[in-house]
Amino acid sequence: MLFRTGGQFKTSYKEDIALFPVRQDAILLGVVLVLAWIVFPLTASEFVFQTLLIPILIYALAALGLNLLIGYTGQFSLGTGAFMGVGAFACYKMVTLMPWMNPIVAVLLSGVFSAGVGVVFGIPSLRIKGFYLAISTLAAQFFLVWIFEKWSWLYNDNLSGAIEVPNLTAFGVVVTAPRADSVMTYYVILAIATLITWLVMNLTRGALGRSWKATRDMDFAAELIGINLMKSKLTAFALSSYIVGVAGALFVFMWRGAAEPALFDIPLSFRILYIVIIGGLGSIMGNYLGAVLIVGLPVILGTVPEALGLEIASARIEQINLMIIGALIVFFLIVEPHGLARLWELIREKLIRWPFPH
Amino acid sequence: MLDQIVVAPFREMIAAPDFLMQVLWEGIVSGILYALIALGFVLIFRSSRIFNFAQGIMVVFAALTLVGLYELGVPAWLCVLLTLAVMLILALAIERVVLRPLVGQPDVILFMATIGVTLFLVGMGEFVFGGENKVMITEQLGIPTGSWALEPFGGLLILEQKDVAVAVMAALLVVGLLLFLNRTRTGRAIRALGDDSQAALSLGISLHTIWVLVWFIAGIIALVTGIAWGSRAGVSFALEVIAYKALPVLMLGGLESITGAIVGGLLIGVLEKVFDIYWGQPLMGGSTETWFAFVLALIVLLIRPQGLFGEKIIERV
Amino acid sequence: MTSKGKLVAAALAAMLTAQLPGAAAAQELKISNFSYRTGPFAATGIPLTNGLMDYFTLLNERDGGIGGVKIDFAECETGYNAEKGIECYEKNKGDSIAVMPWSTGITLQLLPKTNEDRVPIILPGGGNSAMADGKVFQWVFNGPDSYWDAASMMLQSVGGKDLSGLKGKKVGFLYLDIPFGREPIPFIEAKAKEVGFELVLVPVGIKEMQNQSTQWLQIRRERPDYVLMWSWGAMNAAAVNEAIKTRFPIDRLVGTYWSAIDDDLQMAGDAGKGFRAISFTAPKPDAPVLAEVQKHVVDTGKSLSTEDQRAETLYQRGLAVSMMISQGIRAAQEHFGTSEINAEQMRWGMENIDITEAILEEAGMGGMLPPFKTSCTDHLGHSGGWILTWDGNRFQQSEELFHAERDAIAKMEEEGAAAYAEANAPWPVQTCDG
Repeated sequence: MLFRTGGQFKTSYKEDIALFPVRQDAILLGVVLVLAWIVFPLTASEFVFQTLLIPILIYALAALGLNLLIGYTGQFSLGTGAFMGVGAFACYKMVTLMPWMNPIVAVLLSGVFSAGVGVVFGIPSLRIKGFYLAISTLAAQFFLVWIFEKWSWLYNDNLSGAIEVPNLTAFGVVVTAPRADSVMTYYVILAIATLITWLVMNLTRGALGRSWKATRDMDFAAELIGINLMKSKLTAFALSSYIVGVAGALFVFMWRGAAEPALFDIPLSFRILYIVIIGGLGSIMGNYLGAVLIVGLPVILGTVPEALGLEIASARIEQINLMIIGALIVFFLIVEPHGLARLWELIREKLIRWPFPH
Repeated sequence: MLDQIVVAPFREMIAAPDFLMQVLWEGIVSGILYALIALGFVLIFRSSRIFNFAQGIMVVFAALTLVGLYELGVPAWLCVLLTLAVMLILALAIERVVLRPLVGQPDVILFMATIGVTLFLVGMGEFVFGGENKVMITEQLGIPTGSWALEPFGGLLILEQKDVAVAVMAALLVVGLLLFLNRTRTGRAIRALGDDSQAALSLGISLHTIWVLVWFIAGIIALVTGIAWGSRAGVSFALEVIAYKALPVLMLGGLESITGAIVGGLLIGVLEKVFDIYWGQPLMGGSTETWFAFVLALIVLLIRPQGLFGEKIIERV
Repeated sequence: MTSKGKLVAAALAAMLTAQLPGAAAAQELKISNFSYRTGPFAATGIPLTNGLMDYFTLLNERDGGIGGVKIDFAECETGYNAEKGIECYEKNKGDSIAVMPWSTGITLQLLPKTNEDRVPIILPGGGNSAMADGKVFQWVFNGPDSYWDAASMMLQSVGGKDLSGLKGKKVGFLYLDIPFGREPIPFIEAKAKEVGFELVLVPVGIKEMQNQSTQWLQIRRERPDYVLMWSWGAMNAAAVNEAIKTRFPIDRLVGTYWSAIDDDLQMAGDAGKGFRAISFTAPKPDAPVLAEVQKHVVDTGKSLSTEDQRAETLYQRGLAVSMMISQGIRAAQEHFGTSEINAEQMRWGMENIDITEAILEEAGMGGMLPPFKTSCTDHLGHSGGWILTWDGNRFQQSEELFHAERDAIAKMEEEGAAAYAEANAPWPVQTCDG
C-alpha cells in the first residue's frame, strides 16, 4: 500500500540503476532527514543528545568506515578502535599546534592521517588473507595503542597521559565538547555524517565500488578480469580509515571531551564490529540501524524498567545487556546473516507486494 | 645507539646467565599457556573450519565454574567433574543452538557467531559468578605451591612448582590428545572431517556428534588452561586478554597444525619475554609484550603467508 | 510494523517521554554513585560500593536520613567504562545533589561541564591531585587525600619523615599505566631529584595486569631497595604473587590506597606477611558503627555485603567515605537552614566539612579516619593516613599517622590547577574570603 510501485515506469537503463528506483524510498529518506535535521534537535533533551543521538551518529559513521572494508571489499579488520585513535590524536595535535585552525576543518583533515596509517597496515592484505588478515590487523590495534601510551608528544606531555579537548570556536561559536551546546555539536556531526554517507553511497555504486565488490566476491577472478587488486584493496583501506579517523576525531572532540589511550583499545573495535554485523554487511543503512541498536539497547535497558517501576540492580543490567547483544548477534547470523538492513529490505519487499503476496 | 641495540643486550645476557635462564623459563611458562589456548582453536578449526573466538572466554568460564562450585562447598575432585559436565553441556548447547543452524554458511559468519557466543558467555559468567577476582583452588587440586631455587652459574633460578606442574599437565594433555586423534576411531573421524567433510559424512560419520565432541575437548583444554593460569594470577574476566595472545600463535603456527600451535606458542612466549627484557624495557619504555607477538607474526606472515607450519595455500578460481 | 518493531517503538517512546532529569522524588536527597561491580576492577568496586551504600542505609533506617530527609543512594553501573560514565552522568545530574564517578577518566570528561551543570563531583582518594585547589576546581571534591599525598606518605614510610633514608637508594615504581597510575610520577620524580634517590619506572599495561612476570623480572634485574606499587583491581593479587615468587622482600613493597585489599592478599596468605599500603582509613572490625550496621542494615536484609567483606579495609573505607559526605550534607543543612538542600548548597557543605574526634566517636568511627576539615581553597582536607600492614590474615594499622609534605604539594597543586585553567580558558575561578 505504502510502497505501491504501480505507475512508476522505467524507460531507460539509467533510470533503472538510479539511487532510488522506487519513489517511496526517496520519500522515506526525506522523512528520516527531516527527523534528524529538524524534529530531533527541537525535541531532544540533553540526556537524549548525549546518550543517544550523538553517539549513534558517531558510531554509525565509524561502522560505515569499517563496513567499506569488511562488507564491500571483504577485508576483515579488527583494528578500528586504533584508527579512531589516530584520528583523535591527529586532531588534537593539529588544534594545539595551530590554535587558529577551524576545528571542523581539523576534524576533516585528521582523517587524512588515519588514512595514511591505514594504508600502511593495509599493505599486508596484498599477501595475507582471511582470518590471517583479521589477526594481522590486531597488530595495528595493539601497536598503535601502545604508541598512544608511550609517545608523550602525542598528548602534549599531559600528566595523565590523556588528551583533553580545549575550547574551540568555529565561526564564533564554541563547537567542541564538552563546553559546546549539544545542539551545536549534534549539527556538526550530522552534517559531516550526511556528507560522508552521501559520498559513500555514490562511491560504492561507481567504478571503484564495483572493483571493491569484485575483490570481495573473489579476488582471483577480479584480478583476471583486469581489476588492479592492489589499487582496489589499498583504496578501500585508505577510505575506510579516513572515515574511521574522522569518526574518532568527532568521538573525542564533539562528544567525549577527553580521552585516554586505553579508550581506543580492542573493546571499541569490537563494538563497531558488532554494529556492522548486526546492521548488515555491505549495507549503508545497516550501519545506522546497527548503531541505533547497540547504542540504544543499554540505554533502554537502563531506563525502561525503571520507568515501569521495576528495580533491577544496574550491574545486572550491564550483564543482561551483554547477554542480549551476544544472543542477538547469533540470532541475526542464523536468521538473517545480512543483518537489520536485510530485514528492512524484506519488510519493504512485502510492503511493495502487499496485499497480494505473489 | 647502535651499541645499545646490537651489542649491549647480548653483553647483558652473557654477564648474567642465571637471569637469562629465568627469563627463558618465564617465557616458556607463558608460552605453554598460549600454546594450550591455541590448541583449542586448532582442534575446532581442523574439524569444522570454525575460527572459535570464544576459546579464550571458555578458559575463564571453566575456571570460574570450578572455583564457583568450590565456593558452594563442593569437594575439589567433584568440582572438576562437575565443571567437565558443565563444559559438555556448553558444547551441546553451542552445537545445537549456534552451529547446527549455521551449517554450510561462510567461514566468516561462523567466526562472527563465536564472537556472539563470547559476549553471551561474558555476560552470563558475570551474572552467575559475579565479577570479583577469585582465588584458584590450587592446593585443593593437589598442585604443589612451593618453589625450587637452583643456583646455576652461582646465580639464582627460581622454578615455581606449580609452573612445573602446569608444564607436565600440558605435556600429558598434548600426548593424550595426539594418541586420541591418531589411535582411536573417533579421533580419526575428527581428522577425516577436517580433511574432507563431504567424504567423511558419506562414510557415515555424524557431524553433530563430532562437533559436540570437539567442542567438549576444547572445553577440557580450556579447563586445564584456566587452572594453570588461575593459579598464577587468580580467576577473573581480566583473564580473557590472554586469549588474544593465542591469535599470533595461530598466525605463526598455522590454523591447522597442532605442532604449529605448540611450537608457535613456546616461540612467542620466549621471544616476547626476551625482547621486552633486553630491548623493550631499556629502549622503548616497556610493555612491548602487548604487541610484539602480533608484529612478529605479521612479519613472518608477510614472508610465508601460510605460517611456519601451515599447509601451502592453493587457490583456484 | 512487526510486533517486535512496535515493542521497540513503545520502549523508545517511553524513554523519550519519561521525564528523566528533573523528576526528583520528593523528600529525598539523591547521591549518584557510578559503581563498578562488573569488569576487571570489580574486586575493588564491590566491597567499596557495599560499604558506601550500607552507611546511607544505616542513616535512613536508624535516624530517618539526615536532618529528617532520607538519602537516595542511587547506583549507576559503569564497569569502569568511561562511556557509561557519561550516560550515568547525563541521566542523574538533573536531580542529584552530588555525583561520585569513582574514575579519573570519567572525571576528566565531566570536569569542564561542572561549571555549567553545577553539580558537585565527589571522588574520594582519586582524580588529579591538582583538583585539591578549590579556587579552580570549584565543583570537585577528591578528599580526604590526593595521590600526591599518598606518594609523599609512601616515601616517608620507607625513607623517614625527611626522606633522608632514601638518599643514594634505588626506588622502583610499579604502576598501572593509565591516568590513575601516572598521576604520582611528577611528584616522585621531583622528590628523587631533591633527595637524591634513583627512580626506576615499571609500567604495567592494563592488558598485562594479571601477567606481570616481565615487570618483576625487570625489578629483579634492577634490584631496587624499595618498590612503591600503584595498583588496583586485578593487578594487586598478581603483583603480590610475583613479588613472593621472585623473592622480593615483601616488607619493602608499599602500595597505595587501593592496594590494601584483603581479598587479594588472602591469596598470598602468610607469604604476604609484611606487605604494606597507605590508607586514609583504618580498618576497625570492632568499631561501634559495624555493630549498628549489623543491627539496622544486615539483620533487616538490606545489605548486599557478606560477613567477611564487612571486616575488610575496603568496605569500611566505604562506610567512612559515606560518613564524610553525610557531614557535608549536615553542614549545608545547618548553614542554609533547610533539610532539602540542592546541589549548589551541597557544594558549600562539602567545602565546609569539619570532622573532629567527637564527630567520629559519635558516628561510631573513632580512629577509622583522621580528623580533618575542608575549606574553600582546600577541597581535600589532607587528613593524612596510616600504613596498613598485612599480618597474614588481616591488615593491621600502624601507630603513626603520616602526613603528606604539604609545602611541596601545595605548590604543585597550584601550578597544576593554573595550567588546567589556562588550557581550558575561559575557565571561571572562585575567590575565597580569608
